[in-house]
Amino acid sequence: MSQGGIDGERRRFIAFALTPSLIVLFAVAVLPAIYLVVTSLTPFQLTTPGSATDFSAPLRNYGLLPGDPRFVNSLLVQAKLSFWGVLFQVLLGMLLALLLNVQSRFVEFARTFFLIPMVLPPIVVAVIWKLIYTPDISPLNYSAQLLNFTMPALTSSVDFALTAIIIADTWEWLPFTFLMVLAALQTIPEEYSEAALVDGANKLQIFWYVTLPFITPILVISGMFRLIDSVKAFPLIFLLTGGGPGTVTEVTNYYAYLLAFDTNEIGYSSAVTVVMLLLVAGVSLGLVWMGRRREAMA
Amino acid sequence: MKNQADQPARAITRRKLLKASAAGAALAAFPAPLIAQTKPFAGVTLHGASFQHRFFTLLQKYIPEFEERSGMKVDLQLSAFPVYNQQANLELSSGGSAYDFVNVTFILAARWVAAGLLANLDEFASDPNLTAAEWNPKDFVEGAQVPYRDAKGGTYGYSWEGGAMVMGLSRMDLMEKKGLKIPKTFAELQQVCAEINGSDGVNGIVSFQLHHWNLPPYVQGFGGNIFKNPPGDIMPALNRPETIQGIEYYANLLKSAPKGVLTYTEDQARQSLLTGRSNIFIHSSAWVTPILLSDESKVKDTSRVVRMPAGPVHDYPASNSQGLGIPKNAKNKKAAWEFIKWALSPDISMRLVKEHGHSSVCRRSIITSDVYRKLNTVNGQDLGALYLEVLELPARGENYMAYRTVKEFPIVGDVLNKAFEQVATGQLPAKDAMNAAQDQAIAALRRAGTQL
Repeated sequence: MSQGGIDGERRRFIAFALTPSLIVLFAVAVLPAIYLVVTSLTPFQLTTPGSATDFSAPLRNYGLLPGDPRFVNSLLVQAKLSFWGVLFQVLLGMLLALLLNVQSRFVEFARTFFLIPMVLPPIVVAVIWKLIYTPDISPLNYSAQLLNFTMPALTSSVDFALTAIIIADTWEWLPFTFLMVLAALQTIPEEYSEAALVDGANKLQIFWYVTLPFITPILVISGMFRLIDSVKAFPLIFLLTGGGPGTVTEVTNYYAYLLAFDTNEIGYSSAVTVVMLLLVAGVSLGLVWMGRRREAMA
Repeated sequence: MKNQADQPARAITRRKLLKASAAGAALAAFPAPLIAQTKPFAGVTLHGASFQHRFFTLLQKYIPEFEERSGMKVDLQLSAFPVYNQQANLELSSGGSAYDFVNVTFILAARWVAAGLLANLDEFASDPNLTAAEWNPKDFVEGAQVPYRDAKGGTYGYSWEGGAMVMGLSRMDLMEKKGLKIPKTFAELQQVCAEINGSDGVNGIVSFQLHHWNLPPYVQGFGGNIFKNPPGDIMPALNRPETIQGIEYYANLLKSAPKGVLTYTEDQARQSLLTGRSNIFIHSSAWVTPILLSDESKVKDTSRVVRMPAGPVHDYPASNSQGLGIPKNAKNKKAAWEFIKWALSPDISMRLVKEHGHSSVCRRSIITSDVYRKLNTVNGQDLGALYLEVLELPARGENYMAYRTVKEFPIVGDVLNKAFEQVATGQLPAKDAMNAAQDQAIAALRRAGTQL
C-alpha cells in the first residue's frame, strides 16, 4: 500500500474513533449553546405564549443590554470580585506554597489539610461561610463581643458584603494556586539557589531573581484559570448575600439567574448569558494564546 | 368431623345458595347499566399537577380511598414551586391537555383566570347532578376565593390552602415589665420594637430577605400600592409618596431587627422568634403560630399571636390562598371535578385537621367547628378565629391582595426588593431609590412585553 493510502486509512480510522466522542460533545455542549444563542434572539417569556419562537426583533435583547443599569453594574461587580479574588488567591497561594515547600512528614500531612476547601462541594463552602458570617451564631461575632468590639453584619453591609464574598472565594480556591505553585517549586533545581547563596544573595534576592522567574508562568496560568472560574461564584452569592444589599454583590451570572428563574425572562437572560460566555471565551482564548507564545519562546 | 378441605369443590352450601339468591335479587332490582353508573368514571386515569406541599403529601394517603370508590386512577405530579409554576404556565398557555386538574398558583391566578386558561367551575358546582348540595361551594372563605373569580364572578378554582399574615410576640413578659401593650397601630409597633430592642438581649422585631413579600402591607397601610390599580392597571406605583412613606417606615422598623436581618431566611427568622431572641415576627400564620404550637418553641408561655398592626390609612394584613382548578382543554373535566369535590370535601378537610393537625384549610364550616377550635386554641388564644378574620378581609371591599395575583409582580417585586435594601442600608434616600426603582420597573416590564 502506498504512503498516501496508509495516511488516508489512518485519517479515516482517527475520524471513526473520534466520531462517538464528538457526537456526545456536540449533544452535551454545542447543542445547549446553540439553543442559548437562538433563545437570546427571542423575547421568550414563560408567561407569554408564542414568545419562544418570535424572531421579529432578533437583536432587541442585545440592544437593551447597554441601557440596563443592573447588567452594567453586574459586570463591574464581577470585575471587582474577579480581580481581588484572583489576586488574593494567587498571592496567598504562592506564599503558602513557599512556606510549605519543605521536606517533612508533618508538612506533607499539613498540605493535605490545606486542600480540603477546594474539594468541598461549593454549596458546603457557602454553608460554612454562612455560619461564620451570621451574627447570631458566628464565632467571629462572639469573639468580637468578648473583646468589646462591635462587628457589622458582614454580608448585609454595603462596605463589607463583597469583601465577605471575596474572602470566602479565596478560602475555597486558594488551594488551587497553592497546589500549582508547589508543583512548580518542586521542579526548580536546587543548584540555582545554592549558586546564588554562594554569590552572597539573601533569601529575598533568591526568591526575586531565581524562584519567581521560574514560577511566573505557573502564576499567570493559574491566575487565568481562576479568572475564568471566578464567574462561577454563584453558590456563595446565592446563599450569603442574594446579590445584596441592593445590587452590591450582584454579579452577572446571578443577575442572569434572577432574570430566568425569578422573573421568567428567558430570552433576555439568555442574551446576558451569551455576553458572559463571550467574555469568558475571550479570556480563554487569551490563555491559549499565552500558552502558545510561551511554547514558541521556549 | 370432616375437614372443609375434604369437601367436594363444587358442593353447593347453604351460604353459597343464599349469596347467589341475594345477587340475583339485586340484579333484578337494579338493571346492569345503573350499577355501572355508580362508578361512571371507572377506568379513567386522572393526571394532575401541583407544587410540593404538605397538603398533597397528606392527601396522597387518602387517594387510594378515592380510587377505590371511583374506580379512577390518580396520577398526581408534584414538583418544586418554581418548576411547577413554569411547567403549568407553559402547559396552560399553549392550550395543552396533559393535565385534568392543576394547582392554580396564587401568583398566577389572575393571569390564568383572565386569559381563560381554566374551566368555569360554576358549571359543575351549580349542577345538582354533578354536585350534591352538602358540598356547598359557599362554604369556602370568600377572601380565599377572590383570586379565583373573574370579573363576572365566575369561579375558576377552589382554595385548598390559606395563609394569613399575623403578628407573633414571643416576650410578653418583657413587654409587661416595660409597661408595653400589644401594638395595634404602626406608630405603636415602631415604639414597642424600639423599646424592646436590646433589652435582655432581645431584638425588637425579625423579618427575612424577601422584602417584597413583607413590605406591601406597610406600603398599603400608608395608602400606597405596588401597582396603580391591579389587576386592571399594572403601572408600577413605586414612587408615590405613600409608597415611599411605607418603605421608610419598614426600613426604620428593621433598625430594631437582628444584625444581618437583610439576609435572613424565613427559617432563621422563625428560629429567632421561637427561641425568644426576637420579640416580634409578622408573617404568614404557618410561620408564626409555631411559637405556640411547636415543640421547638422555647417561649410558649410568654407568647401571643394577634392581628398585625393597622396603618394610618389602611388595615391590610396580607393573605393568600392556593386553589385547585381544571384546565380549559382538560380531557376529563367531569372526572377531574369528582376529584376536586372529594379532595376539598368537608370530610377530607376535617380529617386533615383531626388526623394531621393541618389547620390551613379554607372551609368556613371546618374552621369554625368545635373540633378545629379545640385543636387550635392555645393559652386561650383562638388561632382559627384570627386566621379566618384575616383570610376574609380581601373580600370585604377592595381586593387589596390583587397586586400579588398578577404575573408582573415578580418583575416589579425584584426591583422593589433591591431598592428597599438600598434604602435600608443607607445607599440611597428613599425618594431617590424609589424614583430609580419606578424607572427600572417600567423598563423591565416593557422589556418583558407588558403593555403599560
